[in-house]
Amino acid sequence: MADTDPPGGGAGPDADATVDPDEASEGDASTESAAPGAVIVPVEPTSTLRSTVAHVAETAAADGAPAIHLVEIASWRNGDPESDERAAAAERVLERVTAWATADLDDSEAPGAADVEVVTTVLGADDYLFGADDYVRVLAEYAEANGADRVVLDPEYTPVGNTTLLQPLEFALSNTPLSVETAPVDRPTRRERFRTEATTGRFVALFGLSLAFYLLLGDPTYWFDVVTGVASAAVVSITLSRVSLDSNPAFPRTPMRIVRGLVYVPVLLFEIVKANLVVARVILDPRLPIEPTMNRMRVIVGRGLPLMTLANSITLTPGTLTVRARDSDLYVHSLVPWAREGLFDGSLERWTRFVYYGRRSARLPTPRERDDVAILQGADATEELPIAAADGGAIDGERDAADDDSAVDAGDASDEGENDPEVTDR
Amino acid sequence: MTETARVWLVVALTLLGLFFSFVSMVGVLRLPDVYSRAHTASQADTLGAGFGLAAVALTVGLAGAGFKSVLLLFFIFVTNPTAAHAIARAAFEEGIVPWIEGDDRR
Repeated sequence: MADTDPPGGGAGPDADATVDPDEASEGDASTESAAPGAVIVPVEPTSTLRSTVAHVAETAAADGAPAIHLVEIASWRNGDPESDERAAAAERVLERVTAWATADLDDSEAPGAADVEVVTTVLGADDYLFGADDYVRVLAEYAEANGADRVVLDPEYTPVGNTTLLQPLEFALSNTPLSVETAPVDRPTRRERFRTEATTGRFVALFGLSLAFYLLLGDPTYWFDVVTGVASAAVVSITLSRVSLDSNPAFPRTPMRIVRGLVYVPVLLFEIVKANLVVARVILDPRLPIEPTMNRMRVIVGRGLPLMTLANSITLTPGTLTVRARDSDLYVHSLVPWAREGLFDGSLERWTRFVYYGRRSARLPTPRERDDVAILQGADATEELPIAAADGGAIDGERDAADDDSAVDAGDASDEGENDPEVTDR
Repeated sequence: MTETARVWLVVALTLLGLFFSFVSMVGVLRLPDVYSRAHTASQADTLGAGFGLAAVALTVGLAGAGFKSVLLLFFIFVTNPTAAHAIARAAFEEGIVPWIEGDDRR
């Protein structure tokens, strides 16, 4: 866990840290030019992949690097629905890239070109990878196992789909011994990314959904409502179909998810009522003390909608409140130990997996059995609270109070500062 | 006969909704810090509004406006945890350490 924490944590120390490893890595590169390590290139089907591979092949041949590792970092997880198709697609990309790299090396004039080995692999398919930290962890492990010391990034590399990952990735990589370089290739002027095309599937789904909702509120038999409904649905789906849905609706999957979601609703309502009664009792009876703690739980659900469903279900259930979702770690505040134990039993996690991936995927050990849980406060605490202001040590409380005061002062001062000019202006 | 039963059911649901809203209010006053108050504040939305809207649906009948009250409940169930999470997350990022037993802060 510790290795994934720093980039997301307090801004101050990390900002400093980024400078140093950069300098250090440049130093490394110059000292190691005598015996260079292998190069790792994370690949994704982007518009600049071809030129990135050409650049890497050229520099590797010139430097005499022993190998080029072309790696695809899996954004799927083996065993989940569709993982087979996506793994096959990744293999096809890797085959194509290997062909390019081999051809480039054959054409190269450099003496070392014939000795450069081209290796391909898929990384991280056994795990859900969330943010840059997870990707870097996987890359760093692979680099260590294969004697690589350099990562070359494709400037258009965005493995998480529609989020920009390159900068955070470079940032997180700068905290590892690996040296990082973004391939100096021409980027096409086109700003749109390769895979966020507005598909008809998304458009139709959003159009149908908005029209159905409009007609539910209106009168489906009245022509005026139908016409205005079609118009509003068209506006909504034209403007928002790229934003609202992050994957295409697929035939057996989407309806199945809705059906399983409907099964989940009464279960969730029952959980809510049960927890509400327990919490109501604790609140109304002064003899029952509350024992709030902050907890961390690493959950195994996919990124995006499944994670949101789980986090919101946890918050809806009284006694547990999702405070932070950092990659796959949920920071959950619990009001009473009963709620915390219920959380660690992971029934909501299993139900979320059931809704999104089906009954087979719902069978997994509880977070407690997986050892994916931690209590961050109180007598049973097993980990420190990752609060920026609390990093210092024992005198956290006082430091916090002091920080808060100074923040308030600063706020007041700036208020006055804003007010003063007005006064002088008048 | 069924009419009387319906009226009593509506009364019962309204009282339940009132009860949970009351608990939520007591909780907000009694609990020590922003995180624990966020727990109980969202309680008013889930069951307080939930039972209230169920009473509304039963009163007006599912055919017309009652259906809309179900939709309303759905949207409350989506927005309420999002709001609670936003408040708690803001507090967390401000560096407010959650209250634990033995803490003197009130």
